[in-house]
Amino acid sequence: MLLVLSEEQKAHLGCLPQAGDAAVGELGRLALELLRRGATPRACEATARKLNVGVDTVQHGVEGLAYLLTESSKLMVSEVDFQDSIHVLGFSEELNKLLLQLYLDNRKEIRSILGELTPKLPSYHSLEWRLDVQLASRSLRQQIKPAVTIKLHLNQNEDQTAQVLQTDPSTLLHLIQQLEQALGEMKTNHCRRIVRNMK
Amino acid sequence: QRFRFCGDLDCPDWVLAEISTLAKISSVKLKLICVQVLRDLMGEAMEYEKILKLTSDAKLETGDVKATIAVLGFILSSAAKHNVDSESLSSELQQLGLPKEHAGGLCRSYEEKQSSLQDRLRACSLRLSRLDSVGWRVDYTLSSSELQDVNEPLVHLNFHLRDGEHDGPVAIPMILSADKFRVLLA
Repeated sequence: MLLVLSEEQKAHLGCLPQAGDAAVGELGRLALELLRRGATPRACEATARKLNVGVDTVQHGVEGLAYLLTESSKLMVSEVDFQDSIHVLGFSEELNKLLLQLYLDNRKEIRSILGELTPKLPSYHSLEWRLDVQLASRSLRQQIKPAVTIKLHLNQNEDQTAQVLQTDPSTLLHLIQQLEQALGEMKTNHCRRIVRNMK
Repeated sequence: QRFRFCGDLDCPDWVLAEISTLAKISSVKLKLICVQVLRDLMGEAMEYEKILKLTSDAKLETGDVKATIAVLGFILSSAAKHNVDSESLSSELQQLGLPKEHAGGLCRSYEEKQSSLQDRLRACSLRLSRLDSVGWRVDYTLSSSELQDVNEPLVHLNFHLRDGEHDGPVAIPMILSADKFRVLLA
């Protein structure tokens, strides 16, 4: 699968050959920092001063490199395809090899960063529960009515929410039975076949 | 095999696995670590550096230190939860393989703090709302635009709640006529 680079991206990456091999290593490191932590304008300025080029050139180069790395990691392109894709840019052999090495070394890390970007549903954080017995109310004295109060703490993208639920013990038992049946589905032949094929 | 301190259920596998780690520490040091873990369970700050110093002789790695703290926290809070007395706890821990002196030291620390730990756990239990205070005011309406002589008392009530589902102070104001207020009090 070949990557298609737009004209603008080709122009951004065009600054790489003039920079030299050490500088390309530096720009590669900046591109990875961009992916890990976000924009680093001060580091770009420092690199621009060291290489004696404009800050914009450095920034575009870093962004172009970051795009190249994320797209190739996302699609899991093979080495041959990666090399063919950057061949279009007309770089020297060593530069191509450097870029390929940069890609192969960091592919796994970039994939794990990209994996965390998917939207997530609220997930379980913790559960508090309480068992009460209602003995009397204003309308009726001398009753026995057990109730279970549950506070479900959920986590969604670092937001903590809490849901308060209340039920009687027989509904809770029914709920537990339904959840155990759901877990039991994993042991059926159908699920076992799929799990085996996925491994 | 069922244990009282686990709530008459089986002991969890991870607790069984960490008992051998606990046996590596000397019993005196284990008692001091228990004191720190009890402080953490009571809500005070735990001095982690002290625990690290106490476990350094046994040459435990950081993973083992954290496991030790977790296992002690589980044993102490679970025993308090199920109201287990310290002799039963000691014999059950020995059944799990903890040496006698270690179990004895642990249970002595537990016994000292058992009632305050249970009070603390009771206070931490799930509470939805808590009534902090009630503010009141009685007004007397003399007249209004509708009727010249009204002459009616009016009660203002303000319920201050805490720890609601919204985790913050909430105020609920309400106004009652004299008759409604009498019904409320009855």
